Amino acid sequence: MKLPNYNQRLLSIEKRTKRFMLGAIGVMLLVLLMIAVKQDYFSRSTAIFFFTPNAQGLSKGMAVKFIGFKVGSVQEVSMQPNATVRVKVSLDDEYLHLIGQDAKARLVKEALVGESVVEIIPGSQQVRQVTQNSVLEFERGQDASTVVENLAAQLQPILNDIHQITSSGDIQQTLKNLNLASGSFRETVNQYTQLGANGNKAMDRINSSLETLDKAIPKLVDKADATLDNVQSATSDIKKMTTDSAGEIPALVRNTNALVQDGQETLGGVKKSWLLNGLFPPSEEQLLPVDGYVAPKRP
Amino acid sequence: MEGRVGFRLNIAILCGLVLLSACSSAEKVRSARQEQATEFNQRAQHAFQRGEYQAAADLYESALQLHVAIENVDGIAVNSLNLARTNQMLGKPVLAQRYLDLLLNDKALTYAKPHLAAAAVQKSLLRLQENDMVGATAWVEKAAGYCVSDCKITGVIDNVRASIALHASDADKVLYWGERAASANRDEPLERANALRLLASARLMKGEADVALRLSEEALVIDKALGLPEKIRQDLLSAAQAHEKLGQLEQAAQCRDRAARIAATALK
Repeated sequence: MKLPNYNQRLLSIEKRTKRFMLGAIGVMLLVLLMIAVKQDYFSRSTAIFFFTPNAQGLSKGMAVKFIGFKVGSVQEVSMQPNATVRVKVSLDDEYLHLIGQDAKARLVKEALVGESVVEIIPGSQQVRQVTQNSVLEFERGQDASTVVENLAAQLQPILNDIHQITSSGDIQQTLKNLNLASGSFRETVNQYTQLGANGNKAMDRINSSLETLDKAIPKLVDKADATLDNVQSATSDIKKMTTDSAGEIPALVRNTNALVQDGQETLGGVKKSWLLNGLFPPSEEQLLPVDGYVAPKRP
Repeated sequence: MEGRVGFRLNIAILCGLVLLSACSSAEKVRSARQEQATEFNQRAQHAFQRGEYQAAADLYESALQLHVAIENVDGIAVNSLNLARTNQMLGKPVLAQRYLDLLLNDKALTYAKPHLAAAAVQKSLLRLQENDMVGATAWVEKAAGYCVSDCKITGVIDNVRASIALHASDADKVLYWGERAASANRDEPLERANALRLLASARLMKGEADVALRLSEEALVIDKALGLPEKIRQDLLSAAQAHEKLGQLEQAAQCRDRAARIAATALK
């Protein structure tokens, strides 16, 4: 009586195993399908190329955009024997008719801190559309760091001039000298008027102008003093901040180093995992290609 | 009944194991020093691509020292060849030849034949640049001798042979080797353009200006796509000569003007 029960249990285990296996295979197929869709295996595409002197900022899988829409991706970045870089781009056939042979490829950054993308700049509508293996012209767009660098380069001489003027003390000295000179001059004028030129209206006007100047100059000196005080206070603030954080900087650098090392180790691990190692180029030493060109003899 | 179920279970387990084994791959075991050398090589490669030849040379040198220390023959060959090429780009042909001689005259280590072929062909190019025809011929023949199996530079060797023939003003030999090079380099645009340029020169020597013009224009298209100013200039000068021989003086002048504008940029 026990044997049929045992067989029945075995049959039930077999059924459950079969269901489990089928489920696992189904999940695996689904994952493969999702990967295939992500890799654009089901969409028809056309390969085009562009050449650039260096591969900085370009990588396999990078998005290719046209008026803000993703229209393809970078398939391959390879070095040519002449040390130029050939970039193969796969474009969705759906958008091909919008891109002329005279269109340009431009490497741009999407935001201040964002991913770089290859943007297709449309050419003239009259020109024939791109076809398989067409070659586009390539240019690099200005990224945020370049803009900031340019701005900094333009501001630097201005800041230097301001620093030179405020630190020399010439302004303060000049204003004080002017104040003294005007005082002496007023005294001279007073003496002159006492000598009998009281009726001279011109002299009165000079006197009144000098009085105005006399009132204004101390205010100017005060303002210059306040400005210099502000500069001095800002400098001392910066000095204080530097002193306060001096102890933290080495620790910060150490932490950053550790963080970078951790990141490298994680990336190394990810690169070696079977699921993703196909996406990275093999870490093997590369040989530069030979160029069989010889410059002709000069006459 | 019991036996059948057991058999099915075994098959299912076997299938699972086969599926799992398909996902795994045998990773080559490499020492930390070798990993470090590879890293130097890859950084050098990037520097070379950016045109930072001195930085590339320093990094290749570091990689070479590591490979010498662990006696990795392939690593020594690859980095010596790269150092020769980088020094050639830096305008240091003597240093470039010294690195090639380290490989070609090494009695203690045995290098792979494709590496020796690449070294010999680079040596031949350097000899030819210095107008040493005998040396260039000897080294290109040695390169051909090394280039027996798994050799990807047969097209380069044929182009160098054609260049030697051109230096000797032997149009027939240029045509012979140039045709072979053009056919071998069908999928290598850079070397195909080199071959077409040589063929155009040979056709000009033989007075076949119309064919030379067609070949120069074909080479020009490829060189423009590759973005090589010096070669574009050579193609234009070749086209100008062809136009002149065809009596098209205006077109010849235009081509020379275009070539002069490229030369003015001093880019290579």
